[in-house]
Amino acid sequence: MPQSKYIYVVDDDLALASDVSGELVSRGYAVRTTHLPEEAVEAARNGQAEAIVIDRMLGDIDGLTLVEQMREAGIRAPVLVISGLSTVDDRIEGLRAGGDDYLTKPFELRELGARVDCLTRRLADLNATMLQVGDVSMDLINRTVRRSDRAIDLQPREFKLLEFFLRRPNQIVTRTMLLKQVWNYSLQTQTNVVDVHIGQLRRKIESAGQSRIIVNVRGEGFMLHVAA
Amino acid sequence: MSPRELFRSNAFRIALTFSVVVALLTAGTFAIIYNQVANADVGRLRAVMADEAHAAARGDDAALRQALALRLTHDFRRMDYVGLYDAGGALVFGNLPTRPAIPVDGKSHYVASYVGGPDSAGEAEPVLFVAMARADGGIVVLGRNLQELFTLRMAVARALAIAIAPTALAALAAGVFFSRRMLKRLAEINGSIGSIVEGDLRARLPAEESGDDLDRVAGSVNGMLDEIERLLDQIASVGDNIAHDLRSPVASVRARLETTLRAPDLPAKAAASVASAIRQLDRAMLTIDALLRVSSVEARRRRSAFQAMDLSAVCADAYEFFAPAAEAKGVAMSLRAPASTPMRGDFDLLREAVANIVDNAVKFTPPGGAVEIACAQVNGNPELAVSDTGCGVPIEDRERIFGRFYRARSDEPEEGWGIGLSIASMIARLHNFQLRVEDNHPGARFVMSGSVKAPLGLTPHPPGGRKPGFWRRFCRGGSGPVAA
Repeated sequence: MPQSKYIYVVDDDLALASDVSGELVSRGYAVRTTHLPEEAVEAARNGQAEAIVIDRMLGDIDGLTLVEQMREAGIRAPVLVISGLSTVDDRIEGLRAGGDDYLTKPFELRELGARVDCLTRRLADLNATMLQVGDVSMDLINRTVRRSDRAIDLQPREFKLLEFFLRRPNQIVTRTMLLKQVWNYSLQTQTNVVDVHIGQLRRKIESAGQSRIIVNVRGEGFMLHVAA
Repeated sequence: MSPRELFRSNAFRIALTFSVVVALLTAGTFAIIYNQVANADVGRLRAVMADEAHAAARGDDAALRQALALRLTHDFRRMDYVGLYDAGGALVFGNLPTRPAIPVDGKSHYVASYVGGPDSAGEAEPVLFVAMARADGGIVVLGRNLQELFTLRMAVARALAIAIAPTALAALAAGVFFSRRMLKRLAEINGSIGSIVEGDLRARLPAEESGDDLDRVAGSVNGMLDEIERLLDQIASVGDNIAHDLRSPVASVRARLETTLRAPDLPAKAAASVASAIRQLDRAMLTIDALLRVSSVEARRRRSAFQAMDLSAVCADAYEFFAPAAEAKGVAMSLRAPASTPMRGDFDLLREAVANIVDNAVKFTPPGGAVEIACAQVNGNPELAVSDTGCGVPIEDRERIFGRFYRARSDEPEEGWGIGLSIASMIARLHNFQLRVEDNHPGARFVMSGSVKAPLGLTPHPPGGRKPGFWRRFCRGGSGPVAA
């Protein structure tokens, strides 16, 4: 990661900004925290911003207006909007204004990190019809999955689950993220239902003595682990 | 509309009173006519006859005979009786062979049944007589047959009797017609109020263009409903704002706690507390999120109806999601649902409600047990039932577990029914469903069924059921039934 590029965290809540920055630093990013949005825009204009994490409400300033101005000025740095406004309409508004992703407060720091990871790779992924991580390949058009040369038959929901991991290699994926984004359930389940689904997926993609690729991260969640 | 309902209606009572008044007025009118015909005429006759008798008594004999003869000649109807008797009492002139037995005083006397009239053929007739003594000792008697007058009187009385019944009936019929119309409109209005009570604040009272009293009342009520709806929207946006304002500080706290948890030198005990704090925070946010989603769906529903959706698909989703975990635990899960159970509702919210109920059932069912997800159309209403063979719910807890902050078994701090059931019950209420728990012998059976529809509104809600509309609770500051 070139040191000339930074992730800009723009928030007037300094405590939150510092925690976000801590998470990103732990993921190997160079981070600059500021409560002045112009600073981030200026850096983006000069090509120094790898991505911008911006709070939608900065005191009296609307973060979205800023994103809009940035886009009009032709600045393409990926932007993650974080906001207390949580309805679908709010999210759509955020994405329309030019945000690349929208995260509702409160959030897990890990999820924010994972989304920033996605953003910094997004341009490459966006048009992909094939996902390839290690020896696992997924054809998004024909809905087929292979590990090395072995074709793997997956149920639709298992396919979606694996796709979620393949898009986030070597990142911690929490149970809440999976519940919400793979099954679209917002519940605080008291059972190990997600673990069992992952177990089933594992039996299919890790059979025949193949190495374990989805690993448990104790107390945190799961990770698709492949050698770099 | 039953006859009882009709009789109880105000409009009908007014109509009844009206028809009685009309009947009395008609009777009064006829009574005046009758009186005029019967008595006024007789009175006039009496006066005229007395005058004539006096005149007859004074005149000379020849002139009197001529006058009497003229009188009889002109009497085509044979109503006039005339008798001129000499001092000895013998008939000198006239058509009355025997002198009627009346005082000779020049005043008219009524003889109800006089026998001996010239054309009576021995029949008794009502006759008015006046007798007057003449200077020569003779007596002149003038009579007037009242039979015709009495016949007319009878005819009038009969006409009265015949006319009064149809008049009263017509008034009553008009009353029934108008009260039926009124009752129909009242029933429509009642129906609208019923659906408003059920939570459909978009409903308005039907108003016709006639601009009558009822329309004016309906107009005012509709205006009031507009205002209530506006206020509810305002409350909703206040609620939303509060929830949104909460998000930022909670986000800050959560991030801080997460960072703290990662510190390598954190003692195990402190780490456990911090982790627990994060869980509690997530729990609180889950409730607030659910409240927000329910309130936004409710607000949307006030503008547009629910979408058509399939409850079977909701059940199948829950089955697909929970079955593997149940199986891993040794709990047999089964799905019993028709190919499709159409209903109107919010798919995402119902999915969440069912997932929460099933999650709960799996959690409380020991290995070797069974959980069944079932749905069906019962009497045209969709019904969902999740049965398990777990420990069941004690009778005293069967209402409380749906409360916002209830948690059974306080000796297990992290265990319990959780907020899932309270969210599920909130979502059920939004759909006019009632969520209740029954005994499954053994285990618990959670049933979500269509509420008793109250088409006329204003009927009391079924015992044990909750008030419809989540608004009431929300507006009271979100205090559930067991918050105290």
